[in-house]
Amino acid sequence: MPWAKEEDFLELKKRFPDLQVEVKPTITNLHISKDNLIELLKNLKELGFKLFVDHSVIDFPDKKPRFQAFYILYNVDERKRVVVKTWTDGTLPSIEKLWFAGKWAERECYDMFGIHYEGHENLVRAFMWETYQYHPLRKDFPLEGYANVDLPSLNEVLYGDKLTGTMNYNRMHTAVPTLEDLEITEKKRLKKKAQIVLNWGPLHPGTHGTMWFLFDLEGERVVQCDVILGQLHRGVEKLAENQMYNQFLVYTDRMDYISALCSNQAWVVAVERLLGIEDLVPEKAKYIRTMMSELQRINSHLLWLGTYALDLGALTIFLYAFKEREKLMDIIEGITGARLTISYPRVGGVRMDLPEGALEVIKAFIKRFPKELKDWENILTRNRIWLRRNVDVGIISKEDVYFYGLTGPVARGSGVVYDIRKLEPYDAYPHVDFDVPVGEKGDVYDRYLVRLEEMRQSVRIIEQCVAVLEKMPSSAPYFAESPDPKKIKLSIDGIGLKVPEGETYSSGENPRGELGFFIYSTGGVKPYRVKIKPGSMYNLCIYPKLMQDRVIADAVAILASLDPVVGEIDR
Amino acid sequence: MESLLAALMVIGIKILVILLIVLGIGAYLTLVERKVAAHIQRRPGPMVVGWHGLLQPLADGLKLLTKEDLFPRYGNKLLYNLAIVMALVPASLVFALVPFGPEFEVLGIKVKPILTDVNVGLLLFFALGSLAVYAIALAGWASNSKYALIGSMRKAGIVISYEVVITFALMGPIILAQTLSTYGIVQQQIEQKLWYLWLQPIAFVVYMFAMLAETGRVPFDIQEAEAELVTGFTVEYGGMKFGLFPLVEWYVETLSLSAIAVVVFLGGWSPINIPFLGFIDPLFFLGPLSPFVWFVLKVSLLFLFVLWLHWTLPRYRIDQITSTAWKVMLPLTLVNLVFTAIIAPIVWR
Repeated sequence: MPWAKEEDFLELKKRFPDLQVEVKPTITNLHISKDNLIELLKNLKELGFKLFVDHSVIDFPDKKPRFQAFYILYNVDERKRVVVKTWTDGTLPSIEKLWFAGKWAERECYDMFGIHYEGHENLVRAFMWETYQYHPLRKDFPLEGYANVDLPSLNEVLYGDKLTGTMNYNRMHTAVPTLEDLEITEKKRLKKKAQIVLNWGPLHPGTHGTMWFLFDLEGERVVQCDVILGQLHRGVEKLAENQMYNQFLVYTDRMDYISALCSNQAWVVAVERLLGIEDLVPEKAKYIRTMMSELQRINSHLLWLGTYALDLGALTIFLYAFKEREKLMDIIEGITGARLTISYPRVGGVRMDLPEGALEVIKAFIKRFPKELKDWENILTRNRIWLRRNVDVGIISKEDVYFYGLTGPVARGSGVVYDIRKLEPYDAYPHVDFDVPVGEKGDVYDRYLVRLEEMRQSVRIIEQCVAVLEKMPSSAPYFAESPDPKKIKLSIDGIGLKVPEGETYSSGENPRGELGFFIYSTGGVKPYRVKIKPGSMYNLCIYPKLMQDRVIADAVAILASLDPVVGEIDR
Repeated sequence: MESLLAALMVIGIKILVILLIVLGIGAYLTLVERKVAAHIQRRPGPMVVGWHGLLQPLADGLKLLTKEDLFPRYGNKLLYNLAIVMALVPASLVFALVPFGPEFEVLGIKVKPILTDVNVGLLLFFALGSLAVYAIALAGWASNSKYALIGSMRKAGIVISYEVVITFALMGPIILAQTLSTYGIVQQQIEQKLWYLWLQPIAFVVYMFAMLAETGRVPFDIQEAEAELVTGFTVEYGGMKFGLFPLVEWYVETLSLSAIAVVVFLGGWSPINIPFLGFIDPLFFLGPLSPFVWFVLKVSLLFLFVLWLHWTLPRYRIDQITSTAWKVMLPLTLVNLVFTAIIAPIVWR
């Protein structure tokens, strides 16, 4: 794994006397005091660690100071990653001047841990409503929440009917936002400057999920725009702290529900890396996982293409894409038994072997699919209307990619070659041959082309995986065998899997961007803290900037080209 | 006295026939559209209600009629209902100007298959077309919804720009025919042995564009724009009140504008034309019915063309549509007008 080495920071060590470099096989930490944090980050940025990956906090209620904050940075040119850590008791300097994405990460930390950021422009809660009193990710917040609001049943309100017996349930409930709460939240987000504030969402066909956009409109022109998140917030990170490693797998399905297999793979690879058993996973399992997540990638991009064309008025493409997607769903269902929430990979391999005939079906599909893709391109790619709606809309420069922490096809559309499959290959990706398409200008049209080309590259990868898998005997193992069952207990259900003390950050290339897991383990069957780096959320954070001075009709084009999925943003 | 009675009866029958055609066919065109769209999208379309979904429009109508009548809070009830009337009436009135075939004789009474052959027919057509904007503006305003308001403002912008374009596009044929009467224009084309399409291709293309824009068909369906505005100005309407807007916009208006296009550019009921030489009628065996069949055939072909575009293209943005209208279409029609004025004497002879 490409963690930065100690010798990379010799220069910095001279400048910062209190800097400690801690190099472990799974992570490289830079420990620094809070006062020098901004200065160090600035230096790292100049050193080439330009891409902001993630920032969050780990809560240690017994320690003093209580919170350990970490910042994950990446050097795209030299393929190095580093984690900067500092301790705090409740306040941190804001990094919004260095990375805009940090602003959103800070909002999340303020929401979840109650950390105050000095110098933050508009510190509002990221997911919970403004009048919510608690900070749910703190360790002293109970998993089931505080049930302190009286919510009687409808029967009781309407008929005074107090149900007894088995129908009797606890009337006390965790707090829910009222309309006033939501209004306060909205007012805090956006100060009206122009004619009307259009509430675009939370339930709107153009937002691809339950996102709530506020457009301040001057006629059709958007003067300013902001997003209110949290309508799908389920506290996945809190749940992760209370689940065993394999149990958490099912929650990764429900984050990015359109590309469940890719999220599964990213999680099991992260746990395997933390355990140090990445090499023990059998070849067959690696190839199956790779092949399946590429199928899932095509599936996900098809959904994107369909809805994107639908947003721009081309309904027919939507149905064409869904027809192919349905075939893919059938293939995935035949292999894994599930269509949407799949949970097929396991820590150490996959749940079961490929069924008989699976490879033939996949081969038939990938033979036909490029022809279909070409048909759709004939309708869209050189279509004058399509060009006028897409070219020069929502341009993202290379600098913006780093400043806003963008990943995935959005970053590649702007010409940044950032593909985890190439930079930090996992599973069978080092052994397969594929190209990484990049755009030139970084507009909506480039992102469209990049995604289309990615589908073709996925077909290439699947072809190679199928060729390898066909040669493998059916008796080849698909699950790892533990070298020392007493130390690491590997089984398909994952019960009793103990992970030693340690921490790691590992990510996978999801169709929507980098999905990373920062796992902090203090030993035992459950992780102490899991921070999920949601690619969609940081991809979305550039949206208000892109929407400035554009018309509403562009809102759908730009949003669809960023392709966020709310399940992953809100978690 | 007797002739007056006969004339009144003839008019009554004409009104009845036209209304039946407009509303009956209008409703059944929904099925045609759904079938065409379905086959473009490689699916069968409605198949359950009746043979190949033949009773589907009835089922849809029944469903819409039995829906609850919702009214938005703080809306303006009078304008809200007036908008529906304002949408339906001008669109249907255009059919009063459409000649369906040549004059014929029944029971000794000469009948022109046109409701009113007014000598300012096309002028009336422009006026009725412009009235459509009131329906949409009222619907958007009375609904008390931001989405509806934005949708109606968009549509108003389009209708105003494309009314101008449509007027100038039809100016060329008017010069060639030297009359504004729709019946007269067709007769002129037959006498001059010339479909005006051959001399006015630019005007025809521009007219087709404007027709798509006025009827809110793809690529100009921005006032609906499912993605960003849900359904634009109809968002607060429910049941049959909602059903009437698409019926009027997508079917009645498309049909009436196609009919006008056939009358002005494609020689109305005349068969296939070879410029300046004459007409060839492969449907001669139909005898006196042949002109009517030709007319229906041409209108349906234009309508299918519109459907074909609707189900393949993406949609434009509002600023792109209006700028195309003012910067490209209008100058084109002006050039066409000058060109027509120069060559007109050759046609008149």
